[in-house]
Amino acid sequence: MREKATTLYIGPQHPGITGNMMVKVQVEGDTIVKARTEVGYLHRAFEKLQESRNWLQSFTLLCRFCVPEPDPVEESYARAVELLEGREVPERAKYIRVLMLELARMASYMLWYGGQNGSLGLYTMGQWSVGDRNYILDLFEELTGGRVYHMYIWPGGVRRDLPDGFADKVLRTMDYLEKRLKDYDDLMFENTIFQKRTQGVGIISKEKAVEWGVVGPVLRGCGIKSDIRIDDPYEVYDKLDFIVPTQEGGDIWARALVRRQEIRQSIRIIRQVIEKMPSGEFYNRIPNPHKWTLPKGDAYARTEATRGEVGMYIVSDGSTHPRRTHFRGAAYVHGITLLEDLLIGENVADISAIMNSLGTCPPEIER
Amino acid sequence: MKELKESIIKRIKANFADAVERNDFKDNRLDFSVKKETIPAILFYLKDEMGFVHLSDVNCVDWLEDGELEVVFIVWSPADKIKVFVRTRLDRDNAVMDNLDMIWRQMNTYERELREMFGVQFTGLEAPEEFILEDWQGPPPFRRDFDSAAYAEKTFWHRPGREDAQDVRESIADRDGEEIPDFAKKYSR
Repeated sequence: MREKATTLYIGPQHPGITGNMMVKVQVEGDTIVKARTEVGYLHRAFEKLQESRNWLQSFTLLCRFCVPEPDPVEESYARAVELLEGREVPERAKYIRVLMLELARMASYMLWYGGQNGSLGLYTMGQWSVGDRNYILDLFEELTGGRVYHMYIWPGGVRRDLPDGFADKVLRTMDYLEKRLKDYDDLMFENTIFQKRTQGVGIISKEKAVEWGVVGPVLRGCGIKSDIRIDDPYEVYDKLDFIVPTQEGGDIWARALVRRQEIRQSIRIIRQVIEKMPSGEFYNRIPNPHKWTLPKGDAYARTEATRGEVGMYIVSDGSTHPRRTHFRGAAYVHGITLLEDLLIGENVADISAIMNSLGTCPPEIER
Repeated sequence: MKELKESIIKRIKANFADAVERNDFKDNRLDFSVKKETIPAILFYLKDEMGFVHLSDVNCVDWLEDGELEVVFIVWSPADKIKVFVRTRLDRDNAVMDNLDMIWRQMNTYERELREMFGVQFTGLEAPEEFILEDWQGPPPFRRDFDSAAYAEKTFWHRPGREDAQDVRESIADRDGEEIPDFAKKYSR
């Protein structure tokens, strides 16, 4: 006998949802038969607002596109502006940018540790990792003045140079976090509950991953080696030695393993950056922002964030303000068409775990 | 890279006579402008025949003074490490083009947003009418002639209580009959 389908509304206010978004699901028993992502709770028309701001004033908006990891958005916008204008960036600034991006990657993954485990009812992990994330936020605060939003990477370089003794602090923090990762493994990856709830759940096949536009750790969890830092290198990633981890399986477990390895690679990159960073200028000064015009044309810069490819498309008509800006977020693809398809046939209790594993970030979808 | 770019241009020009290329970019970028009727065919060709399997971005630019909307597709080839921009212009008053979500499934979301925000209609698009906006009756809000500030002034109201620009510390001191200490006065307005 066919069971009666029931409609459930997961969100827009729900502890398992990664922001203000709703997944409307139809379930038969515990099994999802239909899912639809509903957005519209967060739209702030950032792209339209940017049209009434000059090229520099957008930065207060940019870092709010995706709260857990604002730096890749700033970097992609700054680089798109530089591409369009042909502005050179000092070598030291490029290294500092990579340092920022990798610290941001680690901070974002530490938040993900909490979210992914929290979605399965394992709350200790979040308390540990979010607590440790604060040490990275301390570094951000010392360098930029802000813990979460930085507005530090801007066209022409970065806003200020590293303070005295900052590099040592970064290295000490890395040593500490590296030791802590062993504890995380014991608590998370050795945990039978985590293993049982993630292995074989939310599977994406290799073919589907390519066909549906999957990016970032989710794609690498399907066994496909793809990383913008290697494929379309920016800043100084081509001068650094690191590997792009992949895993077979395409389930939540595989995606978690990819992220676990990527944190270690970030530590490796940060140590190299500190070692290789040249001295010199950190900022190629832009003209008075109120009179600063960019040449006519367009540019698109993309950055590898923890969720995958984020990109900024900007169009200039030769004036002091953008003609149009458009932000491409990974969640735009992962959180709607992919999520809707992936949930079919899954258990209703796994919605939140699947969503977290895809790195869904609702403010990135609506902007 | 230069030879690769030229061979791509050659193949595209051989198959799509209306394609106008730009090849003056220093990085790994190519740019083609085509008529809107050619868009499905060129995107299919790029994806299936030339390895541009990844759809990086789709967006729209309103050229109000020309009376046109420009839709830009950015595709990426993981094998050749090249990105190609494909662009087409639509009449602003009759912005209609073919649905493309059979080429990339995620195109469905981009089309929904362009339909709502720019008023670009995609013939054959199957998706709920509303995406981000709810019960929206006005013109497509991301077009250049939509004045967001004027709309906000007309639709919403200012919250009262801020007109007097009173300093909070001073207000409390007045209310309670207290004296603001000297060290705190410098922070008051």
